Amino acid sequence: MSDFLVYLITGLGTGCGIALIGSGLVLIHRVTRVVNFAQGTFAVVGALTAISLLDTGLPHGLSEVLGVAVAAVVGLLVGVIAIGRRGTSPQAALMVTLGLGILAYAVEVMLWGDQGRSSEGLSGAVTVFGARIQTHYLLIIGVTAAVFAALAGLFGRTDAGKALSACSSNPYAARVVGISVTRMGLIAFAIGGALGGLAGVLLAPMNSMAFDSDVALIINGFAAAVVGSMHHIGRTLAGALFLGVAEAMVAGYGSATYQTVVALGLVLALMIGQAARTHSVVAEAG
Amino acid sequence: MNASQPPRSDVVDVVEVRDLVVRYGAATALDNVSLRVAPGEMVALVGPNGAGKSTLVNTLTGILTPASGSVEVRARIAQVPEGRQMFGDLTVDDNLRLGAWQLRGRGESRRKQRDTSWVYELLPDLVRVRDRKAGGMSGGQQQMVAVGRALMSRPEVLVIDELSLGLAPLIVADLAEHLTELNREQGTAVVLIEQNARLALDLCSRAYVLEAGRIAAEGDSADLAASPDIARAYLGEAQALPAPPDAQDDPGPHDPGPRDRAMADPAPTPGTAGTARGNQDTAVQAARAATREAK
Amino acid sequence: MSAVTSGRERAASQPPGGAGGTGDNEPSDARGPLGARFAGRGRRAGLVAAGAAVAVTLALPPMLTASQLSVYILLALSAMVTVGLSLLMGYAGQVSIGQASFYAIGAYAAGLLSVHGTPPLLALAAAPLIAALFAAAIGGPLLRLRGHHLAFATIALQLILISLLGEADWAGGSVGLQGIPRLSAGGTELGEDIHYAYLAWAAVAVTVLVARNVVTSRAGRGLRALATSETAASASGVPVARYKLAVFTLAAAFAGLAGGIYAFFIGYINPGSFPVLLSIQFLVMAVVGGLGTIWGALLGATAITLIVQFLNDLGSRPGMPASAPSILNYAVYAALLILVVLFLPRGIVPALRDAWQQRRIAGHAGAGTGTAERAEP
Repeated sequence: MSDFLVYLITGLGTGCGIALIGSGLVLIHRVTRVVNFAQGTFAVVGALTAISLLDTGLPHGLSEVLGVAVAAVVGLLVGVIAIGRRGTSPQAALMVTLGLGILAYAVEVMLWGDQGRSSEGLSGAVTVFGARIQTHYLLIIGVTAAVFAALAGLFGRTDAGKALSACSSNPYAARVVGISVTRMGLIAFAIGGALGGLAGVLLAPMNSMAFDSDVALIINGFAAAVVGSMHHIGRTLAGALFLGVAEAMVAGYGSATYQTVVALGLVLALMIGQAARTHSVVAEAG
Repeated sequence: MNASQPPRSDVVDVVEVRDLVVRYGAATALDNVSLRVAPGEMVALVGPNGAGKSTLVNTLTGILTPASGSVEVRARIAQVPEGRQMFGDLTVDDNLRLGAWQLRGRGESRRKQRDTSWVYELLPDLVRVRDRKAGGMSGGQQQMVAVGRALMSRPEVLVIDELSLGLAPLIVADLAEHLTELNREQGTAVVLIEQNARLALDLCSRAYVLEAGRIAAEGDSADLAASPDIARAYLGEAQALPAPPDAQDDPGPHDPGPRDRAMADPAPTPGTAGTARGNQDTAVQAARAATREAK
Repeated sequence: MSAVTSGRERAASQPPGGAGGTGDNEPSDARGPLGARFAGRGRRAGLVAAGAAVAVTLALPPMLTASQLSVYILLALSAMVTVGLSLLMGYAGQVSIGQASFYAIGAYAAGLLSVHGTPPLLALAAAPLIAALFAAAIGGPLLRLRGHHLAFATIALQLILISLLGEADWAGGSVGLQGIPRLSAGGTELGEDIHYAYLAWAAVAVTVLVARNVVTSRAGRGLRALATSETAASASGVPVARYKLAVFTLAAAFAGLAGGIYAFFIGYINPGSFPVLLSIQFLVMAVVGGLGTIWGALLGATAITLIVQFLNDLGSRPGMPASAPSILNYAVYAALLILVVLFLPRGIVPALRDAWQQRRIAGHAGAGTGTAERAEP
């Protein structure tokens, strides 16, 4: 029972990290229709920046915030290159983000070397129902809850959020009412960068971060985003939490080596199921 | 029905287009078109499909750049685009409010700008549906939302591209009445682009007849309507073609049929907006290049 | 044994590239004119160029040093995979970022069979077959996916494959498969690298011929239609799903064959030999050269291999930091991918073809009007 609880909390913590990455993907996709392959990169950049700042003696908190800020700037840069040029199709932009993810490898290896690094998280643990749970996991869960509440507020209540949604709903109409679709896209990339960076700084104490950690992060984030049909942030969160818990359970009760396989297998099945449904709908309509 | 004041020569026109030429690649879409709109005036732009009406609108609103000639818009302009172009995922109220996006007020003035209540007073049919998603509404309701959204930017000139397209006659009559009222009460100038020439001439005081990219005729609506040539060429056609049978519009809530959907969302499939813009730009550049060569 | 290390390092360190830049519309423009050009006098020029290429390819191996030779062999293997990927992406419009999966399957098939006593030649022949069978089996459900979904699914499949291979004791687990014999047929063993060079390039020739035949066949026309518009193709009776699956399978077979040769040449494989970056490398080669063109695939593979080799040499000079080669690799892959996608979206070969075409038209018509008037309405 206490094992179960530990796995559950661990899984929720990991799931929150995945959710932050996935929601960044969804946000960018919603506004620009671009699937951002560099989303995992933001996490790596955010985490490694924060770790370096901690090494220079900056306090916790400030280092993490700066790491997130740097990730947001990187997000903005990725956006400028991927969608800044007129007439770049979403497919082409996808390739560009893939390329930028690789370009980031060069920069990251140059700055931080090719070995994984991790940071000290929130120390201490609490005991709940006989299970020792590291406080850091609770921190991740709390921060993520706050971020998702903020996102819900942004999209549900503010004009800026509505304008972001308007870009994906009808880009032409957005231009007619004077919304700059490109600028909104860049904002989405910056927020996506910040979300990715936040995931990175939160996950860094649990998993060591290396330049190529982005593959696992993006794959998991994409899986969650697929659950949310690349559009719904709430469902993305649910998908991410489920994925995180499922992986933790597989790792805990089975073998850690199969956790990726299980997660990826789930996503594949889900995507193929979704595609089959869409096709049959199209067939009926036609 | 011609509620607007006749144009007065001492008033500066809000829109003035002179010798406008627009080209798409090698094709000339508009050839030497001149047009003016006085404040508070209702002007119709009629002509068959492909005459260049939409090109002219897009030039007015700055989406297209002219190859030569000049376009001067001296007042705030808002567009009701062809096909209504709802933000389908957002509610009617959100759609209206985004109409005020460009107005950059702060504090109290921003609050006023965002206030949609006056639009509901003007278009009371929208009150019932204010919290419904715009994508799921009937064509007539969407057209009202599109008009209301344009009004939210407090325009002095309202450009309406195909008011009646795909809508049942009753709905069109209702919309027309709202427009007249708007024009009378707020003094908003209206440029109405219509294939239904009868409707346009009834509604507006002045009209331009566009044919193959040129102004074929212009003048007072009454004179144009009385001209036998115009009557034969346009009004006859307009009478022979009432609203298409499948455009029967149910004023109550209903799921839009595929046709409505197609009209509500023609251009903006995922990424095409950007691409289309790119193409237009290419076309315009090519047109410019061609102009330079000609000179 | 330097071949081993260079091969392994390559696989592990080559940065990705991406491909797919060209959306669905691209293949269409690229393709339409292509067919027409083959029919005309382009054909003779093509034959001359092909002849020259063959002659150079055959003449090169004896002149190369040992390490150059191993690069030359790996180039041939990359070219085979890229030809298939280029067909898949250019004609069937399917983005695959997991093409190294089939390379791995071919390598493991050949390696396992030969380690367990199957005659090497038979094991090599089995490599493309098994890869193709695998592709045919997963292709049905997988190809229901489109665009970024398919792209992710292909990466996911490769990660699953690597993960499972690492766990599979029968395949050597994460340690890998050692002691793969050298290729031999009828008592003659291919002991020298140069033999593998000729074998690999012969395989490239087979790949190119098969691909050429597919492109110019009736099915090829159907594929072109498919690239232009899936809906239109399906409306005009092209069996879209079957064609897509066929190209997917064919591309897998090419990659499987290349993987088989790789296993025999290197003699040792492990899951780490087939990272996602390898898939991305194939993708960059295909995109840079130009999707849907065989010449583009060959040119892309060659250009990238040469550039990477040059940077490796540069990066491993004394005085350079140990990570310099990989940094340079990543940077150059990324830069090529981004620049080509943004500024030459159809790839180098189609762009060169257009330029050439334009010059000829200009020469005939007198003025350089060709491009200016191509603006779409």
